[in-house]
Amino acid sequence: MTIANATQWILAIVLIFSSLGIVLARKPVHACLSFLLTLLSLAVLYLQLSAPFIAVMQVLVYAGAILVIFMFVIVLFQDAHAQIDKVQANSAPLFLTFAAGAFLASLGFLGSRLIGIEASKDKLFEGYGSVEALGKALYVDFFFPFEAVVLLFLIAVIGALYIGKKEI
Amino acid sequence: MDLSLIIFVSMAMFAIGIIGVLVRRNALIFFLSIELMLNAGNLLFVAFSRQWGNQIGLVWVFFVLVVAAAEAAVGLAIIINLFRSKQVVDVDQYNLLRG
Amino acid sequence: MEYAVWLGLFLPLAGFLILTVSSHYIGRRLTGWIACFTILMAFICFASLLLIYTHADMTPQSFTLYNWIPVDKIQAGFTVRLDPLSLVMTLIITGVGFLIHVYSNGYMEHEEDFVRYFAFLNFFVFCMLLLVLAGNLLLLFVGWEGVGLASYLLIGYWYHRPAAAQAATKAFVVNRIGDLGFLLGLLLTFHLFGTGDIAEISDRAGKEFAMGAPVLGLLTLLLFIGAVGKSAQLPLYTWLPDAMEGPTPVSALIHAATMVTAGVYLVVRMHPVFMLTPSTLHLVGAVGGVTSLFAALCAVGQTDLKRVLAYSTVSQLGLMFLACGIGAFYAAMFHLTTHAFVKALLFLSAGNVVHMMHGTTDMGKMGGLSKVFPKTHWLFLTGVLAMSGIPPLAAFFSKDLILEQEYLAGFEVLFFIALAASLLTGFYLTRAYCLAFTGKSRLEDHVLKAVKEAPPVMLIPVSILAFLSIAGGLLGFAFGKTPILEGFLAEVGVTLAEKEPSNIFLSPETWLSILIAVIGVGTAALIYTQWADRLRQPFAFLTRSFYVNELYWKGIVVPLKALSRFIANFFEPKVFDGSIQAVTYTAQGVSRRLQEVQSGQIRSYVAWMVVGTVILIVYLVI
Repeated sequence: MTIANATQWILAIVLIFSSLGIVLARKPVHACLSFLLTLLSLAVLYLQLSAPFIAVMQVLVYAGAILVIFMFVIVLFQDAHAQIDKVQANSAPLFLTFAAGAFLASLGFLGSRLIGIEASKDKLFEGYGSVEALGKALYVDFFFPFEAVVLLFLIAVIGALYIGKKEI
Repeated sequence: MDLSLIIFVSMAMFAIGIIGVLVRRNALIFFLSIELMLNAGNLLFVAFSRQWGNQIGLVWVFFVLVVAAAEAAVGLAIIINLFRSKQVVDVDQYNLLRG
Repeated sequence: MEYAVWLGLFLPLAGFLILTVSSHYIGRRLTGWIACFTILMAFICFASLLLIYTHADMTPQSFTLYNWIPVDKIQAGFTVRLDPLSLVMTLIITGVGFLIHVYSNGYMEHEEDFVRYFAFLNFFVFCMLLLVLAGNLLLLFVGWEGVGLASYLLIGYWYHRPAAAQAATKAFVVNRIGDLGFLLGLLLTFHLFGTGDIAEISDRAGKEFAMGAPVLGLLTLLLFIGAVGKSAQLPLYTWLPDAMEGPTPVSALIHAATMVTAGVYLVVRMHPVFMLTPSTLHLVGAVGGVTSLFAALCAVGQTDLKRVLAYSTVSQLGLMFLACGIGAFYAAMFHLTTHAFVKALLFLSAGNVVHMMHGTTDMGKMGGLSKVFPKTHWLFLTGVLAMSGIPPLAAFFSKDLILEQEYLAGFEVLFFIALAASLLTGFYLTRAYCLAFTGKSRLEDHVLKAVKEAPPVMLIPVSILAFLSIAGGLLGFAFGKTPILEGFLAEVGVTLAEKEPSNIFLSPETWLSILIAVIGVGTAALIYTQWADRLRQPFAFLTRSFYVNELYWKGIVVPLKALSRFIANFFEPKVFDGSIQAVTYTAQGVSRRLQEVQSGQIRSYVAWMVVGTVILIVYLVI
């Protein structure tokens, strides 16, 4: 059990528990905080997997922006959260349970086929995962998707503004 | 390096995310579960990019990140709208599109 | 020459169409003129065709107007066959038909709906001509059905009378039963020969099938069933007495001279095929014989003047089938011709009486009318004597020929049956004459005073028919040499079974038949003039024709009605409507279930997506 391995194991356990925390939390603020923990441990895991740029991006974008938005909206609805438990659920619980169970089974099935996948023989090139390498890849090899995503982002911003506007 | 653990963790996170979508009725936690699923996918991409040795996976993760951000913004705007019209955050009450 | 055929065939149809479309605009005289004119022109066409045929030494040939059904197995063209047999029939139809049209002018003069009558009458003549001229069995069937339809329309001419409407329906339905046999025979013909052309079938039947082949026997049996329905033989005869509800000229034309002879014509036309199946021929003869005796017995007990004549028609048709049954087709045709004249004469002179007495046909209300109808009663008497077979009137020769052929061919039983039928024929006809015309009148005096003789428009055609009845025998009889008709028809193979003796008056059975006829006539004359008052009530079972009608009613109609009531009230609502409703309910139920899938619940949709993902994973992994 090397250090890398141990790190991975610890992070894995933390990840699983924090994701369970998101799903099982009573109050949404607690769920959000669990989400934060998940994101941060994911960032460390990315670092461990030799992807520093992605790790930083994860913290900046996910933990810094998306999580904050979520927190804002949760606080905005803080009165409504408690009222959910008072009303009867509308969807058929049996079907949902069946779907969840089937999914778990299939994932287990899939997982059983994937055991023993080896990593590459550590022949990572110099600067793998660094900012320059990734920047070069983005601006040279994948320029069109990059610009397309930028456009998509612009549209999303405009759309969010428009949807969230209060009618006057 | 053995990637089985990462794969297992990623699949577990994805499964938990789906169960969260199916089980929870609060719209915000619903959304949060979706973000969780996206993150699980991200993890897999990074892990396999490490396995293949090229950066395509990382580039993809970059795009997923951007798209997730955009989607979060728009989705939350929609949820705010829904809350304004229905006054509840219960996903089961948003059923006007029934057939 | 071809144009003469088409002109003669389609002129009555043109008359029918003209009269139908212009029924509101033209008056009675013009209607009568148009109707009679078309038939007269048709008669002239066919008469001229006859002259051309005999003098130009032509052979039987077919003319096709157009290829009606060019389907592979059913080569049915609109083909008309011109040969001696069809020429004889067309002349009878148009000739007697013309006389009856002229007569109808007088008979129907009190009617409101003059035009309809003549239109239908013309239509009938067209269909009958189509029937006899058809060179193709399918076309013959068209004419067959057409005359059935015309018969229905004309019997039910006075449709507001329930008895007439029911009689018309009965005629059509009973005919239909026979037509089923014909249709099956037609289909079998198509199956066996691949064509409906009569000439071709007659040619090929002998070559392709052995004598007495069962499938040919089936074919001829089915065709004969059609003939039984149309010609009112046992057991499908019940419609003919009831058909007397129609106007008397209709009875004369359709139910005496032409339509009912269609069955005999069919058998004679298909005689090459019939000759190959002796079993069917025996059946034909047996049915004919039994029917003639049966109908003669029933006629003895009738009180209605026209019904006597109706049963007489059935009986004489039975004699014709009897002749066909032993292969003496020429005898059947000869008797058909003379019977047409004589029966039309009888019906029309009876019609004189009926018309002038304003519709009374019950002989119980007649009597002593010879003083009132001086000319008509002589005409009727001529008809009675002719039909009974008194020489030298026409029907004697034809009936005697039939009897003789029976005797010579060795069919002893049939010979005696025919003899008995002849005896009864003389008996009941004379009885009718005596009850109606002789003796004391059973009417009140003032009614008697109001009745007078028929107008000339009704008398002249009848007189012509009387002349034909007297002289018609010469057509088929000649001392020593072959008669005209026989020589004419021999060309198509319509011959006798046995060779006719050179002088018939030398053979014993001729004298026997004359004796029988005289006995029949004399006995009736004696009984009904001297003892008319005491013996006036006939036996009930004879009047009701052995209760056959009641039997049919109880045995066939009542169960059918019960069955149809059951189906209409129970089966149809529950089963048919029920099955359609079941489909509706199923569709609605399924759609309702499917509607629930689109519940609008996000989580259910996600669950469906998850299920899809599961399927995908399983598919990709396996």
